[in-house]
Amino acid sequence: MLVWTVRRILVSLVLIWIVATVIFTVIHLVPGDPAELLLSSGGMAPDPAAVAELRERLGLDRPFLEQYGAFLSGLLRGDLGASMIDEYPVIDEVLLRLPRTLELIAAGAILAVLIGIPVGTQAALRRGTVFDRATSATAALLLAVPIFVVGTLLVLVFAQWLRWMPAGGYVPLAQDPWQHLTLLTMPALAVAKGLVAVVFRMTRAAVLDSLSRDFVRTARAKGLSPSRILVHHVVRNAIIPVLTVLALHMGTLLGGTVLVEYVFNWPGMSTPLLKAVEARDYPMVVGIVLTISVLFVALNLVMDLVYAALDPRIRHA
Amino acid sequence: MRRLAIPGALVAAIVLVALAAPILGLPDPVQQDIAQRLSGPTAGSPLGRDEFGRDVLSRLIWGARASLTVAFASAAIACALGTLLGLLGGWFRGLGELLALRSMDIVLCFPPILLALLVVTLLGPGSGTLILVLAILFLPGFVRVTYAEVLSARSHDYVEAVRALGAGPLRILIVTVLPNVAGPILVQLSLAVAAAVVLESGLSFLGLGVVPPEPSWGLMIRGARATMAQAPLLLLWPCAVLTFTILAMNLLCDALRDWVDPRTASAVRLRAIDRVLPGLLPPARADAVLQVDRLTVEIDTPAGVIRPVDDVSFAVRAGETVAIVGESGSGKSLTAASVMGLLPPAARIAQGAALLDGTDLLRLDEAALRRLRGGAMAMVFQDPMSSLNPVHRTGDQVAEAILAHRPMPRAAARREAVGLFRRVGIADPERRANAFPHEMSGGMRQRVMIAMAIANNPRLLIADEPTTALDVTVQAQILDLLADLRRETGMALVFITHNLGVVAEIADRVVVMYAGQVVEQGETEAVFARPLHPYTRALLAAVPEGDEKPAGIPGVVPPPHALPPGCRFAPRCPHAAPACEAAAPSLESYDGRLVRCVRVAAWLRETASA
Amino acid sequence: MTPTRRSLLAAGAALPFLGAVPARAQRQPGVLRFGLSSFPPSIQPWVNTGTAAATVKLLIYRGLVSFAPDGTLRGELAESWQNENPTTWVFRLRENAVFQNGDRVTSEDIRWNLEQMAAERSTAFYRGQAQRIARIETPDARTVRLVTMEPMVTLPLWFANYHMMMVSPRSPTGAGSLPIGAGPFVLKGQERGVSLDLEPFDRYYKPGLPKLRGVRMIAYADENLRVAALQAGDVDLIEYVPWQAMASIEADPKLRLDAADGPFMYLTFNTTRPHLGDARVRRAIAHAIRREDIVKAAFFGRGSPLEGLPIPPGSPLFDAELATGWRYDPDRARALLAEAGVPNGFSTNILSTAQYGMHKDTAEVVQQHLAAVGIQAELRLPDWATRVTLGNRGQFDISVMGTTTENNDPDGLTNLIDGSLPASYIRSIGLRVPRIEELLAAGRAEFDEAKRRAIYTEMQRIALAEAPIVGLAWRSQGYAMVPEVRGFKALAGALNFFSGITLEETTIG
Repeated sequence: MLVWTVRRILVSLVLIWIVATVIFTVIHLVPGDPAELLLSSGGMAPDPAAVAELRERLGLDRPFLEQYGAFLSGLLRGDLGASMIDEYPVIDEVLLRLPRTLELIAAGAILAVLIGIPVGTQAALRRGTVFDRATSATAALLLAVPIFVVGTLLVLVFAQWLRWMPAGGYVPLAQDPWQHLTLLTMPALAVAKGLVAVVFRMTRAAVLDSLSRDFVRTARAKGLSPSRILVHHVVRNAIIPVLTVLALHMGTLLGGTVLVEYVFNWPGMSTPLLKAVEARDYPMVVGIVLTISVLFVALNLVMDLVYAALDPRIRHA
Repeated sequence: MRRLAIPGALVAAIVLVALAAPILGLPDPVQQDIAQRLSGPTAGSPLGRDEFGRDVLSRLIWGARASLTVAFASAAIACALGTLLGLLGGWFRGLGELLALRSMDIVLCFPPILLALLVVTLLGPGSGTLILVLAILFLPGFVRVTYAEVLSARSHDYVEAVRALGAGPLRILIVTVLPNVAGPILVQLSLAVAAAVVLESGLSFLGLGVVPPEPSWGLMIRGARATMAQAPLLLLWPCAVLTFTILAMNLLCDALRDWVDPRTASAVRLRAIDRVLPGLLPPARADAVLQVDRLTVEIDTPAGVIRPVDDVSFAVRAGETVAIVGESGSGKSLTAASVMGLLPPAARIAQGAALLDGTDLLRLDEAALRRLRGGAMAMVFQDPMSSLNPVHRTGDQVAEAILAHRPMPRAAARREAVGLFRRVGIADPERRANAFPHEMSGGMRQRVMIAMAIANNPRLLIADEPTTALDVTVQAQILDLLADLRRETGMALVFITHNLGVVAEIADRVVVMYAGQVVEQGETEAVFARPLHPYTRALLAAVPEGDEKPAGIPGVVPPPHALPPGCRFAPRCPHAAPACEAAAPSLESYDGRLVRCVRVAAWLRETASA
Repeated sequence: MTPTRRSLLAAGAALPFLGAVPARAQRQPGVLRFGLSSFPPSIQPWVNTGTAAATVKLLIYRGLVSFAPDGTLRGELAESWQNENPTTWVFRLRENAVFQNGDRVTSEDIRWNLEQMAAERSTAFYRGQAQRIARIETPDARTVRLVTMEPMVTLPLWFANYHMMMVSPRSPTGAGSLPIGAGPFVLKGQERGVSLDLEPFDRYYKPGLPKLRGVRMIAYADENLRVAALQAGDVDLIEYVPWQAMASIEADPKLRLDAADGPFMYLTFNTTRPHLGDARVRRAIAHAIRREDIVKAAFFGRGSPLEGLPIPPGSPLFDAELATGWRYDPDRARALLAEAGVPNGFSTNILSTAQYGMHKDTAEVVQQHLAAVGIQAELRLPDWATRVTLGNRGQFDISVMGTTTENNDPDGLTNLIDGSLPASYIRSIGLRVPRIEELLAAGRAEFDEAKRRAIYTEMQRIALAEAPIVGLAWRSQGYAMVPEVRGFKALAGALNFFSGITLEETTIG
């Protein structure tokens, strides 16, 4: 177990180093220069001398390998650097924004599980019925209608017509818990939109698979009640692939909630990432991507533990 | 295959319309007419015009070309490359595994939007770039699916066998493994195509997709969002075709899954059609624990109503063992399922009765049946591995059976389960009760199944091929165990098998079934000494070597929707005469036995004189 | 079965409950909530960081002069200014102006500011201009005398610009610190990327100002959400009203729209590429495009055609005839192409960006109209950053650009058409028209209004023939607000992005 853990951590560290190197290289490779871009804001033509000066101050005039070396040595000291735009420390930005993105993803995932698993189970049990077809069509609709359309409709209905909640924004939980949750509602629904469809489809398929398993017949032969068979045998076994897919999707949502954050003005971590790429704010891009990959690796580790808890066959493998 | 027809046709229709765009006589999809901007439906443009006055219908159809090309191409590339990586990683393990899987982890570390942003920025936007981006995004999915399937395929017997024959790894991969992992990959492919259509719209919205003015669904949605207040319908059309496409792809994906993996869906129905069994039995016996009387099961199929179980009767007394013997498709398992009330949904009882201590099981409601199942009557199945739930401890699964019928504290049930383990001969029962099914040997698992079955002291135990999945030594142990238990408890045992050798060891009486009907029934010794029905003889002829299937009989059991007229065995019978095909023989009594053969008398005479 | 139905019912029951509770925070009286189009990348007073930053800068900082709502110059830190001779401007400082650290604003402070902007290591937007000041004299604490290297009639306009804000030399330095200004509001707090909170500076030099008790600026990147936030009552005032929403805001009695034409779209050329070095081809392109289509398709009719150089109709130098010199005339365009030896047109590309809808839409319309006269152009739509780089490097044939001049004076055109300036994505590449350069220089140095007018008229005529850029459309730039907001005014023409200056007189409620 110790060897396994150590090996695993070493592989993860190498993985993160590769991700860091790839992103550092690629972001320097793409056209566009942070100094030039900042000074060109608003369609202005900056003085080339001013651009050159700013490039020098930001260290952009140094050779690539030197910049990479500086980045790596900073990384080893735990220093992610500071924004090239306003010198704001990357770590501060990450620490401020990350919990909000995680909250959004968690809220969306909880909604997805609460809706997707029961409805998916029912659709599987009533395979071929109107209920099954209607829920499958709804899932397709949820997947098909883009977030930026759904989001705008939600805002239109809840904020502009009904006036139940603000159109968007964020209030810290500590400042006003009720307002915080109100503002979380729409973005969480929007994140859940895609996840519900995914969880629903996976649950339906997994429950169908589970239902045809011999152990379900055994459970019936034991004289168990339908609800006990459903919960303890059918759903209990179907949950593993559902969680696998959910975890994978949650992983891609780290930094992937751009459109939701955009449409509802939710100040998560995806927006700074997108803005940083647009502004070629190298340290910010690299820092946020690194954070995401560390989280991704951690999520994988946690999921492995969860699988082991859920599926004894994995435990000793 | 039929299940594939409708979704297949839907997807084909979408693809065809997209392909046919140039010959549909549509207006030029990029021709602007700003004066007609946002105009509603008119004669020339049934769906109206967009924010540049371009024809919406034409853009929808031409857009399908762009969107679907991107979707299919990216999914196909990801599929080919991902499958290859997965195969290599799964087969060679070691470095190959490390490279294939970890490189995918690297891909997964990048948020999809960022990946798209970077690739598009590096290569410039356009359909080609979009295909590349989506292919990269889908790659990990294919690698993981293939890898997992290859790992499980590696351990299968057929792969081991080919390996033992000295086939090279490449040959094994292509010829043996690939076809077997094709199912999940196909499903993954159809999922990826649907996902690609959605992602295309998202990336085009961000300006990372198809380059205007070339139409695509994503670009249409992007354009329509800005004019949402002025022309909401513009948003509706692309969203509608997107939904329709995804729905069609989902249906196709479900159908594909059913097709490549019949276990999941229609499996229930197929199994019912396959397993057929006839039967008819002696008059009621007062002391019978179970008396099955003229049991007939019907299933509606597209080819008409079939009767996989046709007029089957038999009885089992307390302490007696009756074996039901027959090939696959003879109806023996379905007979057992009828008794247990575990018929698949498609099947229904057409007539007959099954009396358990005088109660007709076929007329009980589900709640009453549930009280009997696992209580007064219990069942042991063929494959103990799949019949046990892999995620619960074996002791808990036995305790669950106890608790279902006798309320008691969990700990007490658990103690009782340990006692049952001891009783079925499991060494170290306390520890074994904590084990999971995969931690046990096949024989041990079947002992667990038996412990579960006898947990509530059943009056009747039905064992459906309980030893088929086990090796010979273990088979004998399990048979001994069942015999011992029957003696100790005096329960009635119905033993279902295709193996007459096993019957001789355990059964007091034997019921031979063929194509849904009982063809011969009698005391085991008598039947073995002098089989009366040609089918019984053929079965016995196939036995001597022990546990081989009755391979000596030419031909197969006729499918239940194509039964021959007259005697159902006649086409395979070496003694068939014209009389056999003239009329269906009835079950006649001979020598204290029941036989369904018109030529029994004649044959008896022939052998007597010989 | 039941759990689903039950939870759905529960969710349905919970929704009306939400409505019963006040979901909105109480509005603080006298505090204006301003919906920004983007969060300012940084608020460094001398560095150009965009228009959102400009609005914030105009709250915190003040320069020597400023633009009044009518577009004329008025005093700020300087109460008066005059031109002693063609190369000497004298500014007389206000007596009561203090920085937000309490220090009086002195002539030495102004000198320090200008020296810093002109310094070797400066990144100031007006670095070049500041370097044209040969000498800074401070005869007393309230007098600043600026001696320029050449006559400079437009010098006071520099000092009205939000890139030339004066800060205290005793400002804190170091990462993340903000220089201290002398404006009406003090930055109280901010959350990067989200919002800024400002409160009034109690010693602001204009008595009774600012009238607001605070300004809360919230960035709404999504234009739809920005409008929704205004309509839902989350904010009182928004900038950059999307064009598609202008009609509904005008129709809404609870809202007010204040919009004016100001920024504009135009084409630039890489004249080193085939055919584009020929002025006839560029003129053909200018005549080939129906500007109304751009106004309709990209701006929902909120703007007006721009068929000449971008000189706003209100400018004293506006000439109605010259302003339509490139009017839509496809026959003329074809004739010019034939004259240039390419009667059947040619293949080329158009660089724009998919990141901004107006750039993309404009490019689509231009592409369509060029195709109509035989010029087959492929669209290149990378992200904005790449587009800027490609533009600066001249890696394009034709590009679609949108900007505004620095002010409403025709000298503002220099940045767009003076080929002697370094290569830039806002100008054509490789195009030198010496006569235009001379006339622009002459216009800058000419103090006589009539002569100036003649110079710029001639410059326009030459530009119409040479087509160093091709104007496409003025676009309307709008602010929308609730009626309780009073005193805020959108400035016209190039000064639209200076509208934030009127926040000092704005009241709410």
